[in-house]
Amino acid sequence: MPPFAGPPLQKTQFCHPKRETPNIITLNVGGQIFQTSPQTLTLAGPNSLLCTLTTSSLGSIPFIDRDPDLFSILLTLLRTGTLPSRAKVLDPEDLIHEAQFYNIEHLLISAITDPSSFYPLNLQKTLILPINGRDSPSAIATHQDGSVLVSHGSKITAFDWSLRRKTSFLTEFPAIDSLLFLSPSVAAAGASDYSGVKILDINSGLGIKTLNWDNPIYSTVQAIGASPEFLFASFESCRKNSNLIQVFDRESFRPLIDLGHEEKQGVEIGSAIPATKLNWVSSQALLMASGSYSGPFGCVGSIKLWDIRSGSRVAEIKENEDCFADVTVNDGIWGLFKVGLVSGEVYMMDLRRLGSSERWVSLGEGCSKVMNGNGKREGVNSKIVGHGNSVFCSRGENVEVWSEVLMGGKEKEGVFRKNVMGRREKVGQSKITQLDFGGNRMVLARKDEQAIEVWQGSGTNFVNWGWN
Amino acid sequence: MSNSLDNRLNPFETLISEQPANNNRPLKLNVGGQLFETTPSTLQRGGPDSLLFSLSTILTSPIFIDRDPQIFSLLLSLLRTGRLPSLSLQFSKEELLEEAQYYGIEALLKKAMAPPPLQGFDMSRVAVIWPENSGFQTKKGSFRAVFATSGDGSLWVAHDGQITGYDSMLSHSGTFRTHIDRISSLSRISPLTCGIGSEETPGLHFYQLLGGQFLGSVNWVDPSDPRIFKASVTAIDSSETNVFASFECRHRENCILSVDQSSLKVVSEIGRQGGSSAKAMAAMKLRFLKEFGALMVVSVTSGAFGHSGYVRLWDLRSGGVVWEWIEPGSGRSGRFGDTMADVDADEVLGAMFKVCSKSGDIAMADLRNLGSGDPWIYLEESNPSLKNSGGGHGSLIHCYNEQVFCSKESGLEAWCKIPGTEHLERETVPERLLERETLPEKAFRRNFVERESRGVITGIECGGERLFLSREGSEEIQVWETRRSSGSFLA
Repeated sequence: MPPFAGPPLQKTQFCHPKRETPNIITLNVGGQIFQTSPQTLTLAGPNSLLCTLTTSSLGSIPFIDRDPDLFSILLTLLRTGTLPSRAKVLDPEDLIHEAQFYNIEHLLISAITDPSSFYPLNLQKTLILPINGRDSPSAIATHQDGSVLVSHGSKITAFDWSLRRKTSFLTEFPAIDSLLFLSPSVAAAGASDYSGVKILDINSGLGIKTLNWDNPIYSTVQAIGASPEFLFASFESCRKNSNLIQVFDRESFRPLIDLGHEEKQGVEIGSAIPATKLNWVSSQALLMASGSYSGPFGCVGSIKLWDIRSGSRVAEIKENEDCFADVTVNDGIWGLFKVGLVSGEVYMMDLRRLGSSERWVSLGEGCSKVMNGNGKREGVNSKIVGHGNSVFCSRGENVEVWSEVLMGGKEKEGVFRKNVMGRREKVGQSKITQLDFGGNRMVLARKDEQAIEVWQGSGTNFVNWGWN
Repeated sequence: MSNSLDNRLNPFETLISEQPANNNRPLKLNVGGQLFETTPSTLQRGGPDSLLFSLSTILTSPIFIDRDPQIFSLLLSLLRTGRLPSLSLQFSKEELLEEAQYYGIEALLKKAMAPPPLQGFDMSRVAVIWPENSGFQTKKGSFRAVFATSGDGSLWVAHDGQITGYDSMLSHSGTFRTHIDRISSLSRISPLTCGIGSEETPGLHFYQLLGGQFLGSVNWVDPSDPRIFKASVTAIDSSETNVFASFECRHRENCILSVDQSSLKVVSEIGRQGGSSAKAMAAMKLRFLKEFGALMVVSVTSGAFGHSGYVRLWDLRSGGVVWEWIEPGSGRSGRFGDTMADVDADEVLGAMFKVCSKSGDIAMADLRNLGSGDPWIYLEESNPSLKNSGGGHGSLIHCYNEQVFCSKESGLEAWCKIPGTEHLERETVPERLLERETLPEKAFRRNFVERESRGVITGIECGGERLFLSREGSEEIQVWETRRSSGSFLA
């Protein structure tokens, strides 16, 4: 029975010293005495130095020859899961270094870049990450711990999770079009005019392996995607007359299965369009592959869903009218989303009802601008990305966020409503070319700018106190 | 936060005297390795539900708590003295609050951090609230922030289709999107729910504030009249049990619906009118006057020939109009051609205040003594240099704690009572004492708060000893408080 009932006792952090003396652990860090409970120290994880102290501290007080101020911050992190505000005056490098010493960096990462603290309506532009050289970013990749990879020209720059440190390395590609994180230290890269997918070690910049479609002599990479188990690559032959999606094992990079091998027949435009986007749909264990072809008479495309196990196509959506400019999948809200090339509107399709004659539903204001006659392509260069329970769509220099408002009713129906991110005052920015999400961050690149923008929810406090 | 707590801590002294003697025995606490010595009676000040209260009954010593000792020492001084030591400025408000919540004494902390009583003649702008990701949909300049506060000084701002909340320490507590694209009225119905309306989207809609869950909608329907259709909401206010909302149809017919808060069903329809003339327009302001059991309904429109409108007091039990004032009209008004621009009521004073559109003068009417004649007493400022403040075209008026705040374009005036002038009614003052200084029109003084050149004031709300202000074309909400620290700095 707990010694006292009532208010929140999340963990058994209280104890009677006389009855259960070993339940308090005394530490001497750099001459300052700290006392805490073994439960708090075990939160550090089994590999941590602190966890080992819980068992060995019978008798003398263990002494750790480190800075006590930094330790008290990390102890608060262990106790509450959040960083105290006095940590803000410190250089984050000090804390990272100290956390690495105690082997609790993962706690620091989750306190700073926790994906569950991602609230789309609270994001604000917090950081600019400059990249060197004359090339502007051609591809961005993010990891769920918040680290960022950027390709610019033939170079790749990697920013670590704290966005305080970076490394750049040179690749053999002339330019990189597809970039993907496989683990915090391994990336996959490909180019639409160069052969093979390169698996790269981020720390050293050295290639680990090159994945090729071995059928034709030379094949380019149109898209890369990954699931927790597999790596997908969309290859096209250099003559642009055949293409396929190859599935690799994510650990061994062994080719497993080929999907949708197509050969171009005759002069028909719609045949043999390679996939330029590969999204894993984890709720249905399906691979979404989309590709489009833009010709003088308009744009045609197709969205296909593949079952990896059987290698069969589950559904195909042909796009003839108002073909997509970009497509994405959001598992959290069971939707396939596209932004129309001509209309610029955002459309949704229910993932659960694909096979049937499901149609695109416009999320916009309801006015259909599908055939706007003037031939203007409202959605050109728009990117669409699903993250959390929202869908983000770049439009010119702005990012729109579509969030679902649940209206209750019989079927718990929701309606989608739009917000434009950022403040109205900011004008005269260049167009957004890349958009991605990782951890609690939104990362974007703009046309002809040698920098990456990072948007974060800055803690909880948005109030600008006048006297500070 | 070096706010002195005035007399608010008096209950503590009685608490000490009532406790048995052993509550003053020394008690040792070990917080994160640092020893603290205090008495059970100090720990019990957090209230019987707090964790520290339950710790105070433990006899083993020292009691070990695995928390940060630095913040605990601040909270212990809060328990001892009732005020936060200045060292607390090193910590963020969220941190202090989180730690206080752990010990169960957050009510005490909030009290210590609350601003002192608002004095209109001594206010400073302490913060600017600017929600992230605000409305892009409205064009620049036409933006109008809609906001509501409550007694604890927390704030909810509706900007376009989303609502952002700030707690009593003005820390951001959440943002959610509603299904409405442009919210034009927002009212807090309970600490956790709000009612919203829009000029474009019909209906009154209810949302849960934390989490943003949609609760339901109310529409004005009349089975016998098919023209009552798609009525939009122009104003909302609430009593403890009911919500009042003014609905207006496209063809301007309007009424006020009383909605039951628990069932969200319409209880009654008040004051249905055609909307064809200025005296039958939809209400722009609703004020539930608890003391009087009445609903004050204000509608003012501004046209080519100046302002026109009405004030009505509805008795909610009988459902009838108790009193009505129409301007321009009836010839009762002593000031012809100087019509009202806005009206508000102060329940503590039992008075209603209006601002005149042409002269900018403020007039007061005793709510307890409304007859058939002209009830308005025009306030006079005795300092000749402050007599003229400019016209009151488009002015707003807001009453709070016996003070009247009035906007004059981009400037703000506060009319505050002079202490000692308690005589509101001329009749009660004996003739021989009827000096100029005791007249009701002399009981208030005008104070210019600040004249900012930019942005006509579009909204004034008060709550929790704070004044919130929005300006045209700006998404900022200014927060004004009376501050006790001198703000001095070294020369």
